[in-house]
Amino acid sequence: MNAAARRRHWVRLDNASNIFPAARSDVDPKVFRMSAELDHEVDPALLQDALEETFARFPLYHAVLRRGVFWYYLQDSDLHPQVEPETEHSCAPLYQADRRTLLFRVLHHRRRLSLEVFHALSDGTGALWFLTDLLTAYTRRRFPDQAPTDAALIEARPGSPERPDPPPEAVGTHPGARAAEEVHELTTDSFAHYFRRRRRRRPAADDHHEEFSREAAPAVLTVEEADVSEEEPQKRPSPRRPRRRIHRVRGTRTPDNRPRVIELTMPARAVLGLAKAEGVALTMYLTALFFEAIRRADPGDAAPTMTASVPVNLRQFFPSTSARNFFATIRVEHTYGRGDDSPGAVARALQEAFSVEATPEALERKLHRLQAVERLPLARIVPRPLKDLLLGLINHANNRALTVAISNLGRVTLPEPAESHVGRMLFHVSAVRPQFCAMSHDGLLTLSFTAPFVETDHVREYAALLTEAGVEVTVAAPRVSEDELLEFAT
Amino acid sequence: MRRCPDCTVAVEGDWVRCPLCGTELLGEPVPGPYPTVPLRFSRRRVLRVLLLSSLAVVLLSFLAQLLFGRDSDGIGVLRSVWLGIVTTWLVVVMAISKRRNLAKFIVYLVLIAGGICVYWDYLSGWYGWSLTYVVPIVCAASIAGLVITARVMRMEVGDYVVYSGLTVLLGLTPIVFLALGWVGTVIPSAICGGLSLLAVVLLLTIRGGAVRHELAKRLHL
Repeated sequence: MNAAARRRHWVRLDNASNIFPAARSDVDPKVFRMSAELDHEVDPALLQDALEETFARFPLYHAVLRRGVFWYYLQDSDLHPQVEPETEHSCAPLYQADRRTLLFRVLHHRRRLSLEVFHALSDGTGALWFLTDLLTAYTRRRFPDQAPTDAALIEARPGSPERPDPPPEAVGTHPGARAAEEVHELTTDSFAHYFRRRRRRRPAADDHHEEFSREAAPAVLTVEEADVSEEEPQKRPSPRRPRRRIHRVRGTRTPDNRPRVIELTMPARAVLGLAKAEGVALTMYLTALFFEAIRRADPGDAAPTMTASVPVNLRQFFPSTSARNFFATIRVEHTYGRGDDSPGAVARALQEAFSVEATPEALERKLHRLQAVERLPLARIVPRPLKDLLLGLINHANNRALTVAISNLGRVTLPEPAESHVGRMLFHVSAVRPQFCAMSHDGLLTLSFTAPFVETDHVREYAALLTEAGVEVTVAAPRVSEDELLEFAT
Repeated sequence: MRRCPDCTVAVEGDWVRCPLCGTELLGEPVPGPYPTVPLRFSRRRVLRVLLLSSLAVVLLSFLAQLLFGRDSDGIGVLRSVWLGIVTTWLVVVMAISKRRNLAKFIVYLVLIAGGICVYWDYLSGWYGWSLTYVVPIVCAASIAGLVITARVMRMEVGDYVVYSGLTVLLGLTPIVFLALGWVGTVIPSAICGGLSLLAVVLLLTIRGGAVRHELAKRLHL
């Protein structure tokens, strides 16, 4: 055993990420999956080679999560990932206390290749970087004659010394869209290097993304300060603040707590056209449709107010090449029965509220308040088990105020030869409430709905809203309920 | 691909009925993107309930001892049988729940065994056997036990060094008992104290860096 192995490098889990181990449960293990569909059946041996190459370039992914007295920390490990055929339900738990396992897995089934990540490790954009590199490495092996020349390869490889930090505007104006071109400091040669750099740069880093990432809104600590003092005066200047009943979707739990996943695939152009016709951005249009679908699915006792949490990739505003969690969530809401409730009008109202909060200035103000909370000595010396408990409670309270959650990674472009061999791409996340995750590739927009319930009414209504508008929708879903599994057996 | 006539959507996979509305599908099936995974039930919830209820029974058993007299005309030998059973059960439960971290289990074992024996001694009239014999012997054995465990299991230094430190610190307590004159027979405490002092010196000279590294990590504020 050498000295290096004895003193493993470690880094404290940032606050944005702390919520994930604290708030995970049987229903929601805080795991998300990102998949890509290839034009052929995945070759496991080549995928394993590709995984090893990619793994070597992403030191963060070597980490295991451990528990300290006051914080969780990520610690370097000697573990090696193994690609597996898909035998478990999607988003199965990855982190188990006291068990040292990698915080991600790579799966394949037929033409689909999936990356599952424990959310404390990375966010959607960070995972997309990994998946992009994995797909590129895989397709280069699978189609060697189509691989770009070595020179182009070096040029394209993120993290090479010739390509230092990109200017702000180059870093994901569309989150994930330029994933392949983005440079991230994690692609240095070793975890050791990464951590040393980080630790040496701590004073500077503290002012930038380190603390920005703490601001990420599911992160609890944000609820106390930012939500109260920041959102209220900004978002609701009108006197419609009295106690509102927020609609929450209820249903029957799935028998073994697997998520109910339903994917809707559709031509991206058609849906973009619908959003444009209403004069709103796609994300807000899709959110408004979600509200409408839930109202339609539950017409009886739908409470008038619907709320949605929408994560914003902070890399768009504050240049960062970290693959760790770096997002903030913004809550948007609409109260029905007070005017024009058509999806278009709702979407425009949501967009207005959203754009007020999604400006760099607004996010920065939010951030500064959080930094103040962050520096409170009291928040630091609370022992971890107590922190877990508090974060769990805050998360629970937060969930009660949400009808749905949505996440849109935007349009993704992959480097060749991956681009031409990958069809649709999808991602979804384990959830305690109805949620959808959108992303588009190869002209196909995918909405992956997840919920902890067996019922699919809201997705049925969502699909109906789309097909009524003339969009061609394809449904794919794993079997969840006993009846569905029996149907398969007979 | 199959189609649902009601939802007017295409459905991937070999679904017979529409996953959205339950209507029978039309057309030819295509392979779906997901495997069919049979239901899998974990017994985690059952085990958690069993664990918590047995801990409650153990705790109540210890508290119940206070209801009986401390002298021999109390419940006498029945007390020893009762305490023996719940203590064994507690150790078994602890061993199961800490099975993934043997070094931590050893520290817990020292604390549980030492604490219970002192309490037991107090309940049965305070003859001092716990401080004279049990605590020093358990502490000394834990130091040796941890060294052997780390060797046999080939544990990484970082994974046991903090627990070594804790067992050694616990091993120093018999010296305090000696100084305060709480013990009748000196030899067990003297051996345990000597062993612990030796272990402290070795730990700090050979593993000093690792100890500091681990403590900085685990106690990071």
